[in-house]
Amino acid sequence: MAKKFLVDLTRCTACRGCQVACKQWKKLPAEATVNWGSHQNPKDLSFNTLRLVRFEEIVNDGKVDWLFFPEQCRHCYEPPCLGQAELDDERAVIQDEATGAVIFTEYTKNVDAEGVREACPYDIPRKDPVTGQLSKCDMCIDRIQNGMKPACVLSCPTGAMSFGEEEEIDALAQERLAAAQKRYPEAVLGDPEDVRVVYLFQQDPTKYFEKAIASASPTMMNRKQMFARLLGTTKA
Amino acid sequence: MTVSRRQFLKLSAGAATATAFGGLGISLKPTVAKAELQKLKWAKQTTSVCCYCAVGCGLIVHTAKDGAGRAINVEGDPDHPINEGSLCAKGASIWQLAENANRPQTPLYRAPNSTEWKPVSWDWALTEIAKRVKKTRDKSFQLKNEKGEQVNRTEAIASAGSAAMDNEECWAYQSLLRSLGLVYIEHQARI
Repeated sequence: MAKKFLVDLTRCTACRGCQVACKQWKKLPAEATVNWGSHQNPKDLSFNTLRLVRFEEIVNDGKVDWLFFPEQCRHCYEPPCLGQAELDDERAVIQDEATGAVIFTEYTKNVDAEGVREACPYDIPRKDPVTGQLSKCDMCIDRIQNGMKPACVLSCPTGAMSFGEEEEIDALAQERLAAAQKRYPEAVLGDPEDVRVVYLFQQDPTKYFEKAIASASPTMMNRKQMFARLLGTTKA
Repeated sequence: MTVSRRQFLKLSAGAATATAFGGLGISLKPTVAKAELQKLKWAKQTTSVCCYCAVGCGLIVHTAKDGAGRAINVEGDPDHPINEGSLCAKGASIWQLAENANRPQTPLYRAPNSTEWKPVSWDWALTEIAKRVKKTRDKSFQLKNEKGEQVNRTEAIASAGSAAMDNEECWAYQSLLRSLGLVYIEHQARI
């Protein structure tokens, strides 16, 4: 059965346990970080940092608010990255039928990396400058197939993260949304019908991060994609 | 703020073209995700307790069965009543307490007045510590205080303890220290 995540940001304390648990499970190397005035470190996602807690300080009606956004691949129902990548190599991005996980393979080294990154509404994929491969969260597919929760979900101490069957999570999302709206009238779910990682934002999602939800302005197809499709050169 | 499904499709170039050109673009054939080999099937599981704070979260330590015997993964124990599988950032990194190439591989020694640390063997370090503790303790040992009462103590050595020691380790440690005659015994035991 297809899987889904709910990330209830009203419960996130930005402890970054998920960020470290992800690194730990995947044995990804540390990155050299600098103090740039925020707890958000490293500053951005990278080939070796598939999950990142973003910190944003904002002012609402003269009061400071601190927003936490643990960012990861949303595992779209219909992943634009897959559509873009298969123009160059159809083995590059695959979608697991059982879980719905969108997975980048080693063949991502053959694709137009910039194009794939631009195709992502959430700006998630990152390229390894050495191998040219692209990487992002793989939903811990190896853990799921062995009946374990993804590393980030297991580690979450506050219950911000839930993982389960699609219908269960959809129901839970509505339940948590209703509860959150009592305290935060602006609370909203991020693209709940299009992605497998649904965030419950307590206020306007774009305040957390510019690309926290799919942008309302349509992304244009690039020339390469358009010609490939018109000429039918894509391997269908 | 919720983006409707229709809007979302419009946003995604790949899907949008598939709709517009009647399936010219996107591959709909079944693809099966190749599962990575599950390393934990070849691991031994041992429960443990995180030593980093007073919460005392349960851990499962996976050690390699292939003879190496080293930890290959440490994660929260879902059956533990305290944390039910969860861990904070520090706890989630605890695998590196055992396995981390960036940590010093041996004890380091800085001689008096020297500005450099030099790697030494455990044998040398432990012998040296024992020698110096004994010397200071013997020199400063008091059998009796000013009132003539028997005290058998040294006031020249203090122990600041360790933040990574648990209750039982602390007990063993303080009994060693008391047997030497220490009275300044501090600790930072948290579990």
